[in-house]
Amino acid sequence: METYLLFLLLGVIYGFFIGLVPVAGATVGLIAVYGFIGYFTDPYMLVVFTTAIVVTSGIGDSFAGIVMNIPGAGSAAATMIDGFPMTRRGESARALSAAISTSWVNGVFWGIAVFFFLPYYSKIVLYFGSIEMFTFLIFAMTCVIFISSKYFVRSALALVAGFCVGHIGLDPDDGTLRWTSILPSMTDGSLTWEHWIYLADGVQMVPVMAGVLAFPELLGAYYTRYEIVKINATDIKEQLIQGIKDSWKYKIDGARGGFIGAFIGLVPGIGGPIADWFAYSQTVAVSGKDGDPVGKGNVRGVIGCEGANNAQKATSYVPTILFGIPGASFEVIIMGLFMYVGLELGTIDVLQDERFFDVLLSSYLWSLLIILPIAYGFIRYAVYITNIPFTYYFWPILASLVWASVQYTGMIEDYIVLGICMLVGLTMKYLKFSRISFLIGFILSARIEASWVQFNTFGYGWQDIVFSPVPCMFVLMSIAALIWGVFYNKARIDFV
Amino acid sequence: MKKMFVTVIASITMFATTAFADYIFVVPQKPGAGTAVWTAIVAAELEKFLDGERIKIQHIPGGRSLLGFNKWHNGLQDNEKTVMVSNGGNALKYLLDEVEYNYGEYDSIGMMNLTIVTGRKIGASSNNIRMAADSARLPEMMAMMMLVCGPEGAADDYQKCFKDNVIWVKGMQQGTARLAYIREELNHTRENPAAYKKHVAKDENSEVWFTHGLLQADGSHGDDPNHPGKQFEILYEAKWGVAPSGDFYDGYKLSKSFRDGMQKALWIKKGSPDRANLVVALEEMSKNPESIKAIAKKVGNYEWAIGDAGNNNRDNILSFITEGALRTMLKFQNESLGYKSAFKPEIITK
Repeated sequence: METYLLFLLLGVIYGFFIGLVPVAGATVGLIAVYGFIGYFTDPYMLVVFTTAIVVTSGIGDSFAGIVMNIPGAGSAAATMIDGFPMTRRGESARALSAAISTSWVNGVFWGIAVFFFLPYYSKIVLYFGSIEMFTFLIFAMTCVIFISSKYFVRSALALVAGFCVGHIGLDPDDGTLRWTSILPSMTDGSLTWEHWIYLADGVQMVPVMAGVLAFPELLGAYYTRYEIVKINATDIKEQLIQGIKDSWKYKIDGARGGFIGAFIGLVPGIGGPIADWFAYSQTVAVSGKDGDPVGKGNVRGVIGCEGANNAQKATSYVPTILFGIPGASFEVIIMGLFMYVGLELGTIDVLQDERFFDVLLSSYLWSLLIILPIAYGFIRYAVYITNIPFTYYFWPILASLVWASVQYTGMIEDYIVLGICMLVGLTMKYLKFSRISFLIGFILSARIEASWVQFNTFGYGWQDIVFSPVPCMFVLMSIAALIWGVFYNKARIDFV
Repeated sequence: MKKMFVTVIASITMFATTAFADYIFVVPQKPGAGTAVWTAIVAAELEKFLDGERIKIQHIPGGRSLLGFNKWHNGLQDNEKTVMVSNGGNALKYLLDEVEYNYGEYDSIGMMNLTIVTGRKIGASSNNIRMAADSARLPEMMAMMMLVCGPEGAADDYQKCFKDNVIWVKGMQQGTARLAYIREELNHTRENPAAYKKHVAKDENSEVWFTHGLLQADGSHGDDPNHPGKQFEILYEAKWGVAPSGDFYDGYKLSKSFRDGMQKALWIKKGSPDRANLVVALEEMSKNPESIKAIAKKVGNYEWAIGDAGNNNRDNILSFITEGALRTMLKFQNESLGYKSAFKPEIITK
């Protein structure tokens, strides 16, 4: 029990800290955990630790956006639109207090709704056969391509590219190596390509996450010029109280953000910044009608998007745990980490593990309880951490990403793959190809292929999709997502 | 300069976590995988009997357990305190794939002799077997074909038997396959004994169909005491009135002996002066009730063959590699199960 408590406190502190560091956030914080995975002798310790990170990094995220005008992680980018102008007016503590309060309340509400009832939701999985999973994956891919990214052609190409990278390794059909013949060799005067046996188990997830997703963001932050505005120390207490009052006054905005975040978290593959931006866009629309426009330092703008922050984090656990399909990018890391300690999400082993659900619920709620006084009480001091020049964070974070990525074999091949992933990530960011789409394609590659094979092996046909309720529903939802994504969605983003 | 200093400190702190150790156990999988978990448990127990000497586990995954064993064979074994932990997958690969390692060249410290339990839904037709595919399931499928289609079949007959009676569902990971079995999309399953107990035994709609039995010191297979009367040879004789024989049976025996007889094995360089020390420690560990309990929790309670007994087991298993058995096994693997494998005449011992 004491050990669990220790890991909970460590997770809370680490998560809050990594949330305060500009651009870092849950994803980077979790990737770094790979470097120390050997210390988690009990799998449930890891559940406690990672849950604490996810919860508290979301709270810490707001600081960088509001105080420095750069996102703590992608999910806090919307917060800074109104948060930073408030800081310039000397109202940073009010903005932070409103952000923390709204995020926290939605975290508690949606956390209970998800984690308390998750063992009951798990019964749904028993009704998810091969055909249901096949159509669910189609829905997930449609959402990833057409809803999350501004450039859906590039997003589709990125998803296909990720799918292809996920294909490298052993062909499940005949047990031979697939797409691993990449080492040039001269045989009898002619050029041949030999297998790189290192890739026989496929490209590993950690270097892909670290190289494609995290590294370009780190590098971007390294070269970003940002303003540092000191927090006004004279009336912090009053501003804190005012922020809480604001959260209550604009509770509808916060609740709407929470609903939007919760819904988007449930849709596989698109959680993260899109939830905040979508919630923010709805707040913009409503506040405009009210004659109280946001965008220039209105606390409603902060509250509207922060409502979605922890809500989507909580609900993105649902597809991840039930189906092994990540609800957000940080869930990809969670899945990989849990796999290391024998908790394979989306399988019957975990779904029947009552202790797993108990630990998840309790660590989630305890983390929220512990972080609230810390976040309020240390606003002034936490800002000092945020204000440390990012160049000092860059090298330790980079070292931890590299360290985590070379835990696979520890040999030169690990470094080569990481280097390639970094180049791919930078190129994709420069050309605005969605890296989230790439990652989802990569992660779901085996599932998509297996699903297609099973669809055929069991002899299913299109009539089974049309005349079965659940598959039919997913197909209709996919069509709706496509139409809405192409013609009506105004909240798409282009920076991931 | 400050940035460099911070980086160096961070790196040193991280590398300091990999402390020096007396023995290195090379595991061909990443942490969390079956053999890696087994090794972690065994190493922790074994350390208690090594007079303060420590064991460090080095993971070299890749190539479905191939890369680590090849690297150990090609150099790591020269450090005489470096032990290879191999698994059933390595053993099957020795028969079916191009590998660089050779069991005959090492000394055994010990090996754990396991079996696999095949279960099915009660009432499931043996003419409509729906099973998740995997190349390591070769022994189960060979046994099923003999039980379903009877004696004296040539390899081609069993191939037809497979085609007529089995839906071989590829691309299913173990976790997905378990769910599909619960949903009854699949009606047959197979698990190691501990996993069977955890995932299948509780299902009142399931029953044990057969086990492969346990390899004995004389090279025969005995009934699994955890599932008495369910050994393949016993069921076969009861159903068909004769004991199993012929090339197809020899191929089956070869595949199950390799995979299950060397399911978890510890190897060291031949003639290593450290072998005796490890063998003594392993013998003490295998008699210690607490250690037995800790290991049994993960894999079930099965016997060890330690030291020379391990070498004897290995020699028995290698002696099963006859040309007829190997060719028949490969033919079934290639043409029925659909996995590409190569015939390797150089491994034939008889």
